[in-house]
Amino acid sequence: MEPSPTIHKGTIVDSIRVLLPRVLRRDVPAAGEHTKLMEDLGLSSSTTLELMLELEESLDIQIDVEDIDQDDFATVGTLAEFVAGHLLPAE
Amino acid sequence: MTALESVATYLPSGRVPIEDLAGQLELTPMQVKLFRRYHRLAEVRREPDGTLLDLLLAAVANLDGLRGREHEIRYVLHARTFPVVVPYPVNPVHALCRILGLDHAVAFAVTHHACATGLLALDVAGRLLAHDGDGLALVLAGEKTFTRDAQLVPETSVFGEGASACLVRHAGPRDRLLAYAAHVRGEFDDELSDDPSAYQREYHSSLADVILDAAAQAHTGLGEVQLILPHNVNVVAWQRLCRRIGYPISQVLLDNVPVAGHVFCADAFLNYQTARERGLLRPGDRYIVAAAGAGRGATFSAMVFEH
Repeated sequence: MEPSPTIHKGTIVDSIRVLLPRVLRRDVPAAGEHTKLMEDLGLSSSTTLELMLELEESLDIQIDVEDIDQDDFATVGTLAEFVAGHLLPAE
Repeated sequence: MTALESVATYLPSGRVPIEDLAGQLELTPMQVKLFRRYHRLAEVRREPDGTLLDLLLAAVANLDGLRGREHEIRYVLHARTFPVVVPYPVNPVHALCRILGLDHAVAFAVTHHACATGLLALDVAGRLLAHDGDGLALVLAGEKTFTRDAQLVPETSVFGEGASACLVRHAGPRDRLLAYAAHVRGEFDDELSDDPSAYQREYHSSLADVILDAAAQAHTGLGEVQLILPHNVNVVAWQRLCRRIGYPISQVLLDNVPVAGHVFCADAFLNYQTARERGLLRPGDRYIVAAAGAGRGATFSAMVFEH
């Protein structure tokens, strides 16, 4: 079995910043690791999943979302941490 | 004690991949991908030339337990996600009664718990029959995807056509209803709420609460629950719910999500039928039927049954 790839959390945070305007379909003020996805940015759990699909395309990765929980949707940082820890081996 | 005597279902043969619905539903390619990849929705059934009456009659045609017992039917209930499911003055429930020789029965629609109305209709049927002392009720579910609201649950699911018919009696050996919990959450009603995302934020905890409430009423621990028959909105919602309540996702019957989508109030009955066909329920097994209604009549409901 292929080993799971690794991507640095900072890289994922940077990509999230770039992708947020596309997912939210509007300009997004500078978001940091501690920016709250729902309260500050207005993401829903569904648009957060859409953001993860965009991340998969932009970083050429596959993310296993089976274990995702509400806490992982809290901030840009917690989402990036979840993604970094749940990468699937390349097919 | 309300008992589910027999259940029959019908799914049209026409299969429509969700990609083919994207234009009509104004879904972006990414939203379609999200539905297929994470929500595990793949196709829905449609019967473009069929009416709601056709759908309901097809389900009843599979209900062998009704044959020869039409005179025992006291009530015919149609559980609806949407209060209005056909253009006025069409009345498919009354038409069905005429065709099947059920004119003597009191026929009416049950609404306002949105997609959790199927469980409400079972409860109403059981209560009415308890008052009468005997007789049967025919509980129907299933709708046409005839408006945009009846085609898409935004960001969540796609509706598919299909129908169910079941015979309910006040008491009987199977499947016995042990508990029913319905949490009506008017604050999430989409015509009243000033925060449309609140429902989605509270969804998992609210559905978890009602499942645990019904289990507690039935004095049943989740460890004793053989199976959960879910609503079919999507898979990811159940993955998160199972993590929250500590219940194995492998015991939630999600087989129909990719092949049928969300079939309005008929999900529970389609899943029951699948559970029976797959031999997943043995006599004495306890199972939970759970449903969540969004939009008009936001409600979270769960029933505990013993097979």
